[in-house]
Amino acid sequence: MILEVKNVRVKLGSIEALKDITFKIEKNEIVALLGPNGSGKSTILRTIFGIIKPYVGAVYLDFKNIEKFDFRQIAKRIGYLPQENPETNLRVIDIVMLGRTPHLNGFKQPSKKDLEIALNALKSVGMNGFKNRKFSELSGGERQKVMIARVFAQQPEILLLDEPTAHLDISSQIEVMELVSKKVNEGLAAIIAIHDINLATSFCNRILMVKDGKIVRAGKPEEVISRSTIKEVFNADVDVKKFGGKIYVVPKMKTRNNKNRLIHVICGGGSGTEIIYKLSEKGYRISAGVLNVLDSDWQAVMDVEGILIDEAPFSPISNEAYEKNIKWIEKSDAVILTNLSVGIGNILNLKAALKAAEEKKMFVINKTPFKERNFVGKEADELYRLILEKSRVFKNEEEVLDELEKIFG
Amino acid sequence: MKLIALLTILIAIIFVVCLSLGPSSVGFEDVIMLLNGKADSNVKYIIIDYRMPRIITSMLVGVALATAGCSMQALFRNPLADPYILGISSGASVGAAVVIFLGIATTFNIMLSAFIFSLITAFVVYKLGETKIGVPIYTLLLAGVAMASFLSGLTSLLIYLSGKEMHQIVFWIMGGFWAARWEKVWFITFPITFSIAYVFLNAWNLNAILMGEEHALSVGIDVESFKRRIIGVATLLTSSSVAVSGIIGFVGIIIPHAMRLIVGENHKKLIPATILFGAAFMPIVDLISRTITDGEIPVGIITALLGAPFFIYLLRRAKVQ
Repeated sequence: MILEVKNVRVKLGSIEALKDITFKIEKNEIVALLGPNGSGKSTILRTIFGIIKPYVGAVYLDFKNIEKFDFRQIAKRIGYLPQENPETNLRVIDIVMLGRTPHLNGFKQPSKKDLEIALNALKSVGMNGFKNRKFSELSGGERQKVMIARVFAQQPEILLLDEPTAHLDISSQIEVMELVSKKVNEGLAAIIAIHDINLATSFCNRILMVKDGKIVRAGKPEEVISRSTIKEVFNADVDVKKFGGKIYVVPKMKTRNNKNRLIHVICGGGSGTEIIYKLSEKGYRISAGVLNVLDSDWQAVMDVEGILIDEAPFSPISNEAYEKNIKWIEKSDAVILTNLSVGIGNILNLKAALKAAEEKKMFVINKTPFKERNFVGKEADELYRLILEKSRVFKNEEEVLDELEKIFG
Repeated sequence: MKLIALLTILIAIIFVVCLSLGPSSVGFEDVIMLLNGKADSNVKYIIIDYRMPRIITSMLVGVALATAGCSMQALFRNPLADPYILGISSGASVGAAVVIFLGIATTFNIMLSAFIFSLITAFVVYKLGETKIGVPIYTLLLAGVAMASFLSGLTSLLIYLSGKEMHQIVFWIMGGFWAARWEKVWFITFPITFSIAYVFLNAWNLNAILMGEEHALSVGIDVESFKRRIIGVATLLTSSSVAVSGIIGFVGIIIPHAMRLIVGENHKKLIPATILFGAAFMPIVDLISRTITDGEIPVGIITALLGAPFFIYLLRRAKVQ
């Protein structure tokens, strides 16, 4: 079996809905038509099924123009599932039996074999216990599975599915896609109109990205899905991640451009993690120090690609690192002292903080009493007291962020 | 199957009961006498030439309206669609009114004119509803509504202008079987049996169309052509009924709907049940109409009186759901 769509142009009213669509599909393939609503995905499916006739180009099923077939012949070979589920009180089995329609003779008397095929189809989607239920009483996921059983009962060679996962919860989405996958592995082909990028990349062999009635990208998921193609087709900002052999996209936060502001964070032991991520989300550049390598705050700065002034693991802060820290404090627009604990190893961080305080750009997050965090003694107490005197003091991260927003926003 | 057997027996009983009852004193014993060949010519006339064509007409009309209603409800996917949705009743009224207005009213002329006018009306509505991509159901519906209101205006005008013949038109519109004769039976038997057979054989496709046109297409049904044919036979059924009995409302909604509640939506069962129940229901209502008073109440009034509460019941039910 081979289905070819060749140079197809379609007009709906006066609008050119499809502009030169060309692609091919053979058995054992799932092809996704991926695009936003109104891009022409459904029109492509309806044209393949012969409902809409192209004014240029044609669809060929095994090298024969689809217009040469009547609907009954097409329905024997192509199982088309429209997007909207019916509203009906018909029983589940009556609906699945309708899949046998193209195989029945003029008097539409189904045989025992037809019933058997329908029951098997229902079983293959795991709905055999529902055969006498009214369709209208089923949940969204159950309805979709019944409709898929109806298409399976048609015993087609090609499946055309229009948004089969729309309006379904995530477990039903996966279930539906797995059913289709399984059927395709048995020797069918499937063309699925879909707008969920991650479902498309997870289950489809090939993706055709559709925009304004044109195929703008075609290929394997990893070849076509990228930040720039998603931006082009969906006009959405996303990050594309790889996980195992699959790729998936996640939405990117819309950030205000604070990129030219540098915030220095004096932290350690995890006390700075929250503020570092939040600053990064807001679009600030970040420097931090002095941190021991592999400290959890150090990890956070690495994650947000900030500037690190670091020291070997479990080593006290060297003078060299201290100087470097001071240098970045001077460069920064603001400095944040987190709710860190102070020991002999990092007391130089407090000294650096005092320097920043004297420059009037220190923001202190003071959550717990300092004496609980002081493992040095009087010297540290004195330093912290001086810092507090010359700084703006806040109870938590949110307050600091709000204040920064006021100053820089 | 049980229901079908039950309804068939019921129809036989109703047939005999209706033959035996009426304003005249002719009763059940007379029917038996007639079967034995012992009845006098007067009795014979009442039973064979008066009651029998009347019962058969009412059965045919009951079946026709119920089946047409059922097909329209599937096509429009709306349980409140009825056989008159394409303006057929208004067309028939104009047909009858024209003949009466022109003073050439005979039983046959009225019947023929009503029949032809209703066919033309349905055809015009269909053409008005047609678009480039076929005949969408909603444009058909709107065309039907527009046409019906235009034609009822025309009927009112004819009633107004026809002076003392006015009551004749009004009485015709109310609908009834008092003028049933064998010639009417012969006139409608073929179109109605043909159409019923057609709908019966296409019950499967009606199930498909109930799913929506796109779904019906997807299982290989040429929806536009099927729609045309169903509208065609429904028109034939309705026009035949209206031609012989005037406008009898609600039957086309009540019967299919009642059957749907009992046997479900599957037209393989629904159509036979509707046909049989239509045949059982109409003669009973007619019997009521001709025996409840000394004279005769038009059947259309009784069905309307029964139909409205039923409508409200449906509405309440829908609300609960």
